[in-house]
Amino acid sequence: MPLVEVHNVVKEYANGEETIRPLDGVSLTVDQGDYVSLMGASGSGKSTLLNLIAGIDQATSGEIVVADTDITKLSRGKLADWRARHIGYVFQTHNLIPVLTAYENVELPLLLLPMSSAERRKRVGIAMEAVDLTSRASHYPRQMSGGQEQRVGIARAIVANPTVVVADEPTGSLDDETTEQILTLLSRINTELGMTLLMVTHDADAGSRARRKIRLERGRLLENGKPVSLVKGQTAQLHTA
Amino acid sequence: MLGQKLLPWDYGVRNLFRRPSRSVLTLGGLTIVVLLVLVVVGFIRGLEKSLAATGNPNVVLVYALSSGADIENSSIPGRSPSLLAASVDGVRRRHGVEYVSPELYLATRITASGMSEDALSQGGMGLVRGVTTAAPLVRDKVQLLEGAWPQSGEVIVGRLAHSKLGAEEEDLAIGQQVSFDGQSWTISGTFVAAGSAFESEIWAPLADLQTALKRQDLSMLAVAMDSPEGVADVDLFCRERIDLELKAVSESGYYAALQKHYKPVRMLGWVVVVLVAGSGIFAGLNTMYGAVVGRVRELATLQALGFRRRAILLTLVQEATLLACAGALVACLIGLLLVDGTAVRFTMGAFMLSVDSVGIAVACGVAALLGVVGALPPAIKAMRLPIVEAIKAI
Ligand SMILES: Nc1ncnc2c1ncn2[C@@H]1O[C@H](COP(=O)(O)OP(=O)(O)OP(=O)(O)O)[C@@H](O)[C@H]1O
Ligand SMILES: [Mg+2]
Repeated sequence: MPLVEVHNVVKEYANGEETIRPLDGVSLTVDQGDYVSLMGASGSGKSTLLNLIAGIDQATSGEIVVADTDITKLSRGKLADWRARHIGYVFQTHNLIPVLTAYENVELPLLLLPMSSAERRKRVGIAMEAVDLTSRASHYPRQMSGGQEQRVGIARAIVANPTVVVADEPTGSLDDETTEQILTLLSRINTELGMTLLMVTHDADAGSRARRKIRLERGRLLENGKPVSLVKGQTAQLHTA
Repeated sequence: MLGQKLLPWDYGVRNLFRRPSRSVLTLGGLTIVVLLVLVVVGFIRGLEKSLAATGNPNVVLVYALSSGADIENSSIPGRSPSLLAASVDGVRRRHGVEYVSPELYLATRITASGMSEDALSQGGMGLVRGVTTAAPLVRDKVQLLEGAWPQSGEVIVGRLAHSKLGAEEEDLAIGQQVSFDGQSWTISGTFVAAGSAFESEIWAPLADLQTALKRQDLSMLAVAMDSPEGVADVDLFCRERIDLELKAVSESGYYAALQKHYKPVRMLGWVVVVLVAGSGIFAGLNTMYGAVVGRVRELATLQALGFRRRAILLTLVQEATLLACAGALVACLIGLLLVDGTAVRFTMGAFMLSVDSVGIAVACGVAALLGVVGALPPAIKAMRLPIVEAIKAI
């Protein structure tokens, strides 16, 4: 049973007279524990697809089923609740809350879940440990380096043990050394913590770390150079390759 | 609402310290708005107190038919009190004393020995009432604060008399001299009258005042009846004794008429309150727009994490309301310390600005309104942006 199923999703933007269609009938399935990289030219619609799966954008048509919920059918409020439970989002520029410490930033998603404060403390501790920032817990974002901020961002994305971790160019604004650090960290999250990971990247080297490499071209998905079919059966077959 | 997950309280509080200078400026602005509201409400409340405190339905005021509502121009025959007491049943009597207070009332130039040149040159118009020992029986709100009832050549002063004269409080202390109408008087005591207009008057023994003024007539009578129904009997007496040219009005009726007279002033006061609060809301809106616009991306991030829009709205309202409440607190402190009890001179006397529970309630209400109404429009505007667009904002 696939964890994420994207069925025939279309995303259009009306731009005056013409319509832009970055996603033109995209289908994709992702299994539990997969590590998928999504590459493609700038403006090809990578972020758009990622945001649709993360439930922060709305498709023009099509279905997106994540962990048995068709999120295209959820109301805005329910979708927010759903995101809190199922999505961990790693942003390109971390998007930490400046008035909260590293610890409090990581704790934030847990406040949305029914959980005792002891349980929260334990989970934040584990997440901070995973990104090796236990010593910086009381620092504010402005007191940390870009790489450290991104690690806090990753800790915040994994702390609630989400169904899917999505990352939109998580190394896009980092130097080589830090990029290496972050990519290693993401791989470990996939292999050691068994989290399902979907990462958009420009960087072929970064993309190659993933187990599955998917390209977005002219509104369609290609995997290993072959189109990812609209037909459900074929899709399932493809991703085992 | 409560079932929803809210942002930590600290988040709202710390955001106020994010741009300390902006918060301080906003706080200053809010404080001024709330203080202005407090002063205007204090003015209205003080005025209302000075008008309302005195109306006793058992008390009838009798004055000249020709005088209108203006007691200063009223002149009634000196024999009226005894005639009235003899002819009307139902006048209150205790231990053989009739509750009939003959009074002579006038506005005149009054100087106190200690008064500065400045105060002497501008003003000094005071209110004098010649009274007998029956006055405190009928005017039962009047109470001696200090000193003794005036003997011949002495006066007692209301606690606001000094401000009506434009003098300092020490100038009208017990033992000081005041002079009016060519005679000098020694202050033997001070009195209060529950904030009513009497507090700006100076009371002298009636006989002395009549001698000094070379007058035998009175301005008015104040008569306490056994019951409010007695008012009609006094009225009947006035109508029957055409020769005396009297008219009667209940004290509460008299003050109701005065209240009506000052109603436009009070209404104007409330209009000012609304205008001040309104302009405060615009100022607040402006600041909140500034505060929210710079945080569009952060607010979108919170949404992406799964916080509902209402929770985010609430935290923005919390920030603005906290600031507004801090402003209200500062304003109320300043109000209680500096504004409350400040005397205001007025044609009919003087009264004190009153920062009371009503004023504080109105001020806090305005502050809460400033917080909520000021925060909502910019917050709602920020929430309207699609998350994916807002998250790309700088
Ligand atoms: N709000 C919008 N209104 C109109 N067009 C939009 C909007 N958002 C995105 N687009 C268009 O949709 C297309 C896909 O955008 P998207 O951000 O998904 O690209 P991307 O593959 O992530 O590019 P990049 O690698 O540069 O981040 C682009 O052509 C873009 O211009
Ligand atoms: Mg992108």
